Amino acid sequence: MALEAKFMEMGAGDILRCAQEHKAAGWRFVQLLCTNTDDGIDVQYSYMKDQLIENWTVKGVSKEDHLPSITGEFLAAFVFENESHDLFGVQIDNIAIDFGGRFYDLAMAEPMTVISPEQKAAREKAAKIAAAKAAKEKQAAAGAPAGADADLEAKLAGMDPEKAAKVRAAMAAKAKKEVAEKAASADAELEAKLAGMDPEKAAKVRAAMEAKKARAAAQETEGKGE
Amino acid sequence: MGKATVIPFGPQHPVLPEPLHLDLVVEDEKVIEAIPQIGFIHRGLEKLVETRDYNQFIYVAERICGICAFGHSMGYAETVERLMGIEIPDRAKMLRVIWHELSRIHSHILWMGLAADAFGFESLFMHCWRLRERVLDLFEATTGGRVIFSVVRVGGVNRDITDEQLKQFVDVLDGIKGEYKEICDTFLTDRSVKNRTVGVGHISYDDALALSMVGPFVRASGVKQDVRMLRNDGYAFLDGFEPVIDPQGDCYARVKVRALEVLQSIDIIEELIRKLVPGEIAVTVKGNPADGAEACNVLEQPRGECYYYARGNGTKNLARMRMRTPTSQNLAGMTTALAGCDLADVNMIVLTIDPCISCTER
Repeated sequence: MALEAKFMEMGAGDILRCAQEHKAAGWRFVQLLCTNTDDGIDVQYSYMKDQLIENWTVKGVSKEDHLPSITGEFLAAFVFENESHDLFGVQIDNIAIDFGGRFYDLAMAEPMTVISPEQKAAREKAAKIAAAKAAKEKQAAAGAPAGADADLEAKLAGMDPEKAAKVRAAMAAKAKKEVAEKAASADAELEAKLAGMDPEKAAKVRAAMEAKKARAAAQETEGKGE
Repeated sequence: MGKATVIPFGPQHPVLPEPLHLDLVVEDEKVIEAIPQIGFIHRGLEKLVETRDYNQFIYVAERICGICAFGHSMGYAETVERLMGIEIPDRAKMLRVIWHELSRIHSHILWMGLAADAFGFESLFMHCWRLRERVLDLFEATTGGRVIFSVVRVGGVNRDITDEQLKQFVDVLDGIKGEYKEICDTFLTDRSVKNRTVGVGHISYDDALALSMVGPFVRASGVKQDVRMLRNDGYAFLDGFEPVIDPQGDCYARVKVRALEVLQSIDIIEELIRKLVPGEIAVTVKGNPADGAEACNVLEQPRGECYYYARGNGTKNLARMRMRTPTSQNLAGMTTALAGCDLADVNMIVLTIDPCISCTER
């Protein structure tokens, strides 16, 4: 008979009906909790009977919404309803013992709705990770080659934008350096070949190469002029 | 009938170990209504999950209360383990229960001392607290701490109990048992104790259920409700568990339930020591709780059922952590028990509920 927990959603209009039904069926009230989310406050009611806990959540409650009190069914809820009001700003009507916002002696109003920098950073990071995961899945679904570049792009999407820009710049500089090194090594190889050739033939090859370069330069200049 | 007068009771009051305020509406010497107020020392500890990772928060959870410290760290760790799907070693589960039941013994004996002090039985108070010291010595020997233990971690426990220490446990508990039975006998048979407790602050079986009360408070009204009956985690190793109940519903019944629960806890510890399996005491925990994942858990603390809830957000920090403590659940029952009592009995009724404002003002 181990503990069994269920998590379910309901609308704000179902709060009272849910409490009445649970009371009639012999359930007991366990707790009421609020969670601050990007979409508003999630208000969760928990009831327990034998080994089963049912957690019913009303998602995205705004500070303008008015919820009914369940203290008519379960008096024990008055502590949590006053707490939800004082700490989260949730409006609950007709609480049996209503402290009118003076249940807790607080230094600031609705402190649990203040988003700390740490929480904000955690949320942004979680959103980026989710976006990167979604991008990767989308790419995989589209049949695109899941090569090293795709992996890298997915990783960059999940990073802090400033850090990602620095990584991209470093990668571009590295690629440019590699191209320059490749060109320098090709020139060195050609020079070594020419040094091993007959001097007259080598002079002809050099002249032909210079002429080719001059033609290319002239074509480039004409192109720019047009 | 006299004129109704409102008498403020607390938050600073000789009989209250913690700041609880009651507005007592009295007519002559009868309390007509009692309105409780807390909130003088609210600490916002639940908010700290945003700045402490799920491993660090265990030390915060432990500091919610100096008496239920072990239980809070255990309840929190079990909830995070449920959230992340972590199975801890059997030995760790059993060690947790041994320490938790020891915590119940020290909490109940502490309470009995306070109750004795409240009804003016000073020598009984001293005997209770003298005995409690020996329980705290066991904690110190095995965890290094007397109030804050820091022995539980997500994934198991930080310290093992050696065979030698287990033998010490058994010896000390055997020694305590004899002395405790004498103290218990005084509590349950002495006329001066009965004069202050029998028939005082009565709560019926039906009221106890309707008010969703928890812990010894509800069991003293004859309700068979104790989450140890669910045999979660370490409690699954017990041969059986029957909660201590008493149908009288008054202050005396609450004293009796707690007094007998101490003996029950000693039996649980001795059974688990006999059954303790060798092996690892913790598993390595990697990763973070998934975004949107939810888990809840219940644990029978000394003062009653405590409900824990955790929600992950994909990072090392939790999106939400909740501890619904037994006292916050029992405040409605307390107001009901106080209505109609004599003014002189208010302190006994409040004490026999064993309110913990530190827990409630987490």
